[in-house]
Amino acid sequence: MKQNGTKRLTISYLALAAALLALFMLNIFCGSTALSPKDILSTLFSAGNNALAQKIIFGLRLPRAAMVVLLGAALSVAGYLLQTFFANPIAGPFVMGVSGGAKLAVALTMVVLLNHGLFTSSLTLILASFVGAMVAMGFVLAVSQRVKRAGVLVICGVMISYICSAVTDVVVAFAQDSNIVNLHNWSMGSFSGMTWENVLTAALIVLPCLALSFMLSKPMAAYQMGEAYAQSVGVSVRPFSVALVLLSSLLAACVTAFAGPISFVGIAVPHLVKRTLRSAKPLHVLPGCVLGGAAFCLLCDLIARSIFAPTELSVSSVTAIFGAPVVILLLVRKQRREAAA
Amino acid sequence: MSYCEANDLAVGYNSPLLEHIKFAAERGQILTLIGPNGAGKSTLMKTLAAQLAPQGGAVLLDGQSLSVYSPTARARKMALMVPRTNRTELTTCFDVAAAGRYPYTGRLGILSEEDKKQVFDALHLVNAADIADRDFDKISDGQRQRVLLARAVCQEPEILFLDEPTSFLDVKGKAELMTILRRLAKEKNTAIILSLHELDLAQKLSDAVVCVSPDSVSDIMTVKDAFQKENIQKLYKMSDEEYAFLFGKKEPPKFEHYIRSGQKLLRCGYTTGTCAALGAAGAARLLFTGKAPETVGLRTPKGIVVEVAPIYCEKTETGAVCAIRKDGGDDIDATDGLPVIANVTLLPNEHGVVKIDGGKGVGRVTKPGLDQPVGAAAINHVPREMITEALLKEAKTFEYKGGFFVLVSIEGGEEAAKKTFNPHIGVIGGLSVLGTSGIVEPMSQQAIVDTMQLEIHQAALKNGARRLILTPGNYGLDYLRETYPALMDIPIIKCSNFIGDALDAAATEHFEEVLLVGHIGKLVKVAGGIMNTHSRMADCRTELFCTYAALAGAKKEVCEALMQAATTDACLDILDQNGLREPVMHGLINAVQLHLERRAAGAFQVGAVLFSNQTGPLGQTETAGKLLQKWKES
Repeated sequence: MKQNGTKRLTISYLALAAALLALFMLNIFCGSTALSPKDILSTLFSAGNNALAQKIIFGLRLPRAAMVVLLGAALSVAGYLLQTFFANPIAGPFVMGVSGGAKLAVALTMVVLLNHGLFTSSLTLILASFVGAMVAMGFVLAVSQRVKRAGVLVICGVMISYICSAVTDVVVAFAQDSNIVNLHNWSMGSFSGMTWENVLTAALIVLPCLALSFMLSKPMAAYQMGEAYAQSVGVSVRPFSVALVLLSSLLAACVTAFAGPISFVGIAVPHLVKRTLRSAKPLHVLPGCVLGGAAFCLLCDLIARSIFAPTELSVSSVTAIFGAPVVILLLVRKQRREAAA
Repeated sequence: MSYCEANDLAVGYNSPLLEHIKFAAERGQILTLIGPNGAGKSTLMKTLAAQLAPQGGAVLLDGQSLSVYSPTARARKMALMVPRTNRTELTTCFDVAAAGRYPYTGRLGILSEEDKKQVFDALHLVNAADIADRDFDKISDGQRQRVLLARAVCQEPEILFLDEPTSFLDVKGKAELMTILRRLAKEKNTAIILSLHELDLAQKLSDAVVCVSPDSVSDIMTVKDAFQKENIQKLYKMSDEEYAFLFGKKEPPKFEHYIRSGQKLLRCGYTTGTCAALGAAGAARLLFTGKAPETVGLRTPKGIVVEVAPIYCEKTETGAVCAIRKDGGDDIDATDGLPVIANVTLLPNEHGVVKIDGGKGVGRVTKPGLDQPVGAAAINHVPREMITEALLKEAKTFEYKGGFFVLVSIEGGEEAAKKTFNPHIGVIGGLSVLGTSGIVEPMSQQAIVDTMQLEIHQAALKNGARRLILTPGNYGLDYLRETYPALMDIPIIKCSNFIGDALDAAATEHFEEVLLVGHIGKLVKVAGGIMNTHSRMADCRTELFCTYAALAGAKKEVCEALMQAATTDACLDILDQNGLREPVMHGLINAVQLHLERRAAGAFQVGAVLFSNQTGPLGQTETAGKLLQKWKES
């Protein structure tokens, strides 16, 4: 069994990495402008002479794919952290309203600043997004003090999401015409229009957060058994839960700031990863989430922009189609277990 | 120094719920917290286990305040087990147990080979090695508790806290868990503190108990004290009926037969003789049926049926033993509660014979004049008859033609006998198996009268001169013996309050000269013809003083003062002040003499000597004077 476990882990990681690589390549090769594989390869590996190809690949497709990788990983890890914190498999930044809060804050900031003709840097947006995420998180925490049932908590989160969305729509209505399209696209969730500068900023936030999360995998494992047990083996529960909340909010905020709210990735990916690895140990699941989240988002983004090309779907619609059934499945299972218990 | 101490601890959430808690737990011992729901057991437990900050005072772990420890240092010393865990997924029992290695593993919590060995050892200790690879979410509650315990064991704790560990367990699960806890305490020298709702388990498991009630926390109590009926009823606010429902024994109803004594209704008991006969019958029935009887019963000579459950009834190499607990009813004497054990051996070749002897705890007769001859076991003839009758009845029922040998012993009899009259009357080495009616009627008077009669009988046997001194207590005897050294040879019998009974016995035993010596407070009653001087029977002391003072010409005021006097000595003072002592004492003493002679009815010469606490000799009757003169000369 021990041997099998290790073997399964290795194979799973390799498969996920391979899928990630393949999808990454696909995302580079496919796009609304038809470029021949030959052009692309020559552009990638030798200083090509096709200026258009160069521009499309290095200016659009590569940064976008890199961003999808970063944000996909961030989303699924954020989801996993929240699930651990709430001891609830259907917790996630989107369903708990954290993304919604971040979205509202970002929209507000954007509109206010744009209306005054000020430049909005990525960092400002991330900060705003983080504040919004934390406010929503605070609300969810307050509810969770009173309500222990997972389903109710999720319903509250969804309601928060709706309120935030509604307010965001109102805010967007006050935006100047030229920005509306942009804002609208963003508020639906999209990876389009990423620059290398964006990628760098996101990487500076996401990568340390991922590393920190990984370092927390030992206390996370202890926390899975419950707070009392974690404390009894020597976890300092308070600092640890603060760290969990901050990390997950920061990751979710970062995603929202760049790509808007993207639904269900945070729930679906950790769940699928756990099933694949046949393990719930954070030490195993966290790297799995990074690989799986990135691959999943690459796939969704690929579908979003190529299925009705040149029209681009919002990536959230695609993730919802894949992710929502997983959430329903989990809810039903949870209900059944609770009824049995 | 104790391993874990609560030092004037106050516990609670935000405000103190329980205060001034003070107790200590030792390594290798199991300490149980009991108390009603909501009293704060869990809160106390959480505070002791560092899950909650104390609201006052401190918890000392191994001599240091708990707050001094780093989380890891603390986790290496104490482990906690709570009844509920979060639902786990894809987690094997091994993983759950391994979580206990947390304080010992590195930054990422990766298990070393040594850690793995520890986990397997712990699983083995709790008999869960076989389910190591099973999913923790898909095992039974009993298995789950054991795995959680293994997890705590992995932590290598020196103290282990368990909050209601038996909550979800069935009987077998509970038994398993308790056995493991015992083993832990013993083999790993772990201090164990747990809370339990099942009092029966707590009673069996614990080395010490702390009672947690909503308003206070007790000190460390012994199991015996903690599970006293009164304590449990108080702790759980349980009515008698509720208590009886839970803890009432399912034995046949207690032997319930009452007699009235004064205002009180007293419960009768049964004698050691009845116990011996019941035990013999029980043992015989086991021998004949091969099954230990649940109850045995017999009809006592008094006609009352006694039915009881034996304490135990089992086969031995040669026969069977059956133990019956002596129940003295409300007459608590030295034998009450002692197991009377009958060891019965069959004598197949001796038709209808029942041989009886006394074993350990049953005395042996060393002086003549008792029910049994010198050298025999102190089992009186009535108990012997009862034993014989009971055994022959069993033999008849089971168509057995042979005989029996019965060895009667009394557990703790040797020790108890020291508190009885036995050494005095010449029964040594244990108690007597006695009883003439089979039933003990509480009013221990009867026992005293019986003993006194026996003593007078023995005195008669060895006293050639047929002289006797009776005294309610020792008062004045020393004085008398110094004044009349010849009295040393005359037997002295303590008659307590039963002066009439003593005189009757003296007559029966053909004594010729009897002297009653005693304190005026007792003997003045005899002047009124009161022959049982117990204050419950009659008082009349002041009335007698008053009457004789009036006859001697006392004024009304003096009479009133006498009636009000608290003691006989106070009466004497009043008489002295009025110069009436001599005539009054003269009258009283004559009256004493008159009543003594009336009771003796010519069977012997009798006189009385009276003393007082304050003044010493008060006077003597005419006959007493004659007797003393005569005894002094001879």
